[in-house]
Amino acid sequence: MQGFALYPFDPPGDIAALRADLRAWLAVNQPQGDVVAQANCWASFDAGFSRALGAAGYVGMTLPVRYGGGDRHPLERYVVIEELLAAGAPVGAHWIADRQTGPLILRYGSEEQRERYLPGIAKGELYACIGLSEPGAGSDLAAVRTTARETPDGWRINGQKIWTTGAHFSHIMLALVRTEEGSERNAGLSQLLIDLDTPGITIRPIIDMAGHHDFNEVFFDDVLVPHGALVGERGQGWKQVTAELGLERSGPERYLSSHALLVALIDAAGPDPAPELATLIGELTAEMWALRQLSMSTAAKLAAGEDPMVEASVVKELGNAFEQDMPRRVQAIVDSGWDDEDDLAKLLRALLIASPSFSLRGGTREVIRGIIARGLGLR
Amino acid sequence: MSAAREMLCDTARAVFAEAVTAGIAPVEEAGFGLLLVPETENGFGGDWGDVNAVLQIAGVVVPDLPVAELIAGEALQPAATVSLMAGAMGQALSLSIDHVNTRQQFGRPLGKFQAVQQSLAVMACEVRAVEAAAAALASRLDAVRLDVIAADFEIAAAKLRANRAVGVVAAIAHQVHGAIGFTEEYDLHRVTVPLMRWRGAHGNDAFWAARLGRQVAALGGRGLWKAMTARGA
Repeated sequence: MQGFALYPFDPPGDIAALRADLRAWLAVNQPQGDVVAQANCWASFDAGFSRALGAAGYVGMTLPVRYGGGDRHPLERYVVIEELLAAGAPVGAHWIADRQTGPLILRYGSEEQRERYLPGIAKGELYACIGLSEPGAGSDLAAVRTTARETPDGWRINGQKIWTTGAHFSHIMLALVRTEEGSERNAGLSQLLIDLDTPGITIRPIIDMAGHHDFNEVFFDDVLVPHGALVGERGQGWKQVTAELGLERSGPERYLSSHALLVALIDAAGPDPAPELATLIGELTAEMWALRQLSMSTAAKLAAGEDPMVEASVVKELGNAFEQDMPRRVQAIVDSGWDDEDDLAKLLRALLIASPSFSLRGGTREVIRGIIARGLGLR
Repeated sequence: MSAAREMLCDTARAVFAEAVTAGIAPVEEAGFGLLLVPETENGFGGDWGDVNAVLQIAGVVVPDLPVAELIAGEALQPAATVSLMAGAMGQALSLSIDHVNTRQQFGRPLGKFQAVQQSLAVMACEVRAVEAAAAALASRLDAVRLDVIAADFEIAAAKLRANRAVGVVAAIAHQVHGAIGFTEEYDLHRVTVPLMRWRGAHGNDAFWAARLGRQVAALGGRGLWKAMTARGA
């Protein structure tokens, strides 16, 4: 990891115009509802918004035109994503499909899969979930036990996924399953693209400590999917999932998803803030600015076709710490009642409760630090 | 890195190595004072990207010599200090990695222990953040032709971020080194003591946080993002 270069963030085209157009579009189309929906906004589900965003060309931007995409550069998409997050737009419905499932189908999927799924993803109408975690396979993902056996009729799936965000509103799951009988650890795994309306699939909600229904248990009971559900190469699931996680961990959502709280803090402090508020705003701004530089450099490396697994982990680790720290530090300084109904109080309460999940989802802090340590040449 | 900058860095390494014993004279003689002077005025015609690269080396090799003062004026010293700090932090990380991969206890290298791995990962994140801050500050300074007023936001953010990293980086570097890192003989203090000094020089945390905080407060909540994106990328 030592001495690795910072990649210049240099997207093609008129980026100022791209930002201006999107901001103008958001001014008309972003729902002006509850401010809490703006915090942690990539978990805010709004199918109508996703569809409108897709129609405006802001979903599936990097996919080829023949699949309904915009053929745009990945860094143009990055600019759009950071604008949407900074505005607190409700991007949760299409988020996973746009961020990782679409690109994975494009990279590893068959022509049939691309034609079947990518246009719906680019329209902001087809939603996806990630079938990785299982009851016995959390941080230890290689312990996956859900099986898919090849039969003359297709793949027969048995097992269970858990903590599956958005399974209840998703159309498809990209699942990591054990296709090779008797295989162990990260060998013998494959990725299957499963239509969630297939008979034998049961989805049960898990309500989180904030009272929200984001994640689910998904049970597979003799579920039969066609041979064509296999994505990429049989037995290469681990390698493909690693590439998928690079997309999942490197984005600006790791530092920008609770930007609404910083906005509310600055507005509450006013143009002539008390010294302790000015100090806090200054410290949070410096951290956010540095994180943005790291995130942009990582995106540029990814766009250059390289594997930024370690850099992505650095962004995730620092971003998670920033986003967990922010509500705590705001609460320590701002006199705000737990049940107050002003924007700052509502955001503070929501993010204090949501923040423990930040260093769990997408890889725990301990796993992420382990990846960084390996990148340093330890182990 | 461009070929010209690679050559500049090679020269800096060689000259600074000589300066460790000879003092600032060889650095002056090699013409580092002309780094930012335009070629039309018989200077090197370098930019802040070059200064950043050179000072990161100075921060490791000759942290106690006034190389930054030789290259840049008073108004640019906060920015110069960020580069020195990025270099010194990179060296503290490098020494720490070497040490934990070499030093054996309980029959294996320290780097095999998860507790040590997790500490070094935390340290590496801080170092990366400061390197990114130094690079981003350099590109802003070059975009505005070293106008420190136009780059005031980036100078404040970068120096503050670097200051805040010092506590974590120096503490973990010393912790994983154990007693040997606390000796005069071993090289770690040659970067950690300057880091402690630089945190308080050219604006400590409170100075830059208050300044940046007031600047951002005047922008308003939504104004922060607009300003940040208007200033770069």
